[in-house]
Amino acid sequence: MSTTPRVTPPPKATTADFGTLMSYIAKPTAAFFDLYAEYWQRGVLPADLKEITRLRNARVTDCGY
Amino acid sequence: MSPPTSTPVDANLELTLGARPELWSRFQNFYAALWADGHVSRRVLELCRLRVAAIHGCHAEWEYRTADVFVADTDLAALQRGDFLPFDHCEQAALQIAEKTPFQHHAITDIEVKAVEDGYGPAATVALLTAIAFFDVRCRWHLTLN
Repeated sequence: MSTTPRVTPPPKATTADFGTLMSYIAKPTAAFFDLYAEYWQRGVLPADLKEITRLRNARVTDCGY
Repeated sequence: MSPPTSTPVDANLELTLGARPELWSRFQNFYAALWADGHVSRRVLELCRLRVAAIHGCHAEWEYRTADVFVADTDLAALQRGDFLPFDHCEQAALQIAEKTPFQHHAITDIEVKAVEDGYGPAATVALLTAIAFFDVRCRWHLTLN
């Protein structure tokens, strides 16, 4: 799979990547990372179990990121 | 930002995810931000949400109607059967992405993404693709947890 974004990056972006594209929607992106940090930093599941499932999910969905 | 009020469609999710209220409230904030972002009309988001729900056969998401968005019964029937002809050109482009996201995400073509960008612009395209991904997530949550 390609990891090159298919959407035109913001005019001032020096690179075309996932991060620069997400800057188009800054508020939802910030809210997502607030959620994602909470998921990774707390909770009853050990971090290695979360990482195993994350990697398996990436493999199953063929996500190069 | 204070957590948004739970909608009826959230009730089942909240029963389960309420075990991690700090996680649930953050998800609600994020999901509300997707709807409030403003790059994509709430109607287009609703059409895509309903099509993803229809593909999954997710009763909870399908039965729910987003506030302030009117979708005619004939349009609902079309969404249920995957007929996009009643919708305008830009809505069709958005629905084509929604159609493939749940189970055919690798089959989404550059041309299909470009059609959305040509219709709505790059910022809206990012907003739409992100929202559709999480419509898919919500259906999977419903169908897995309940």
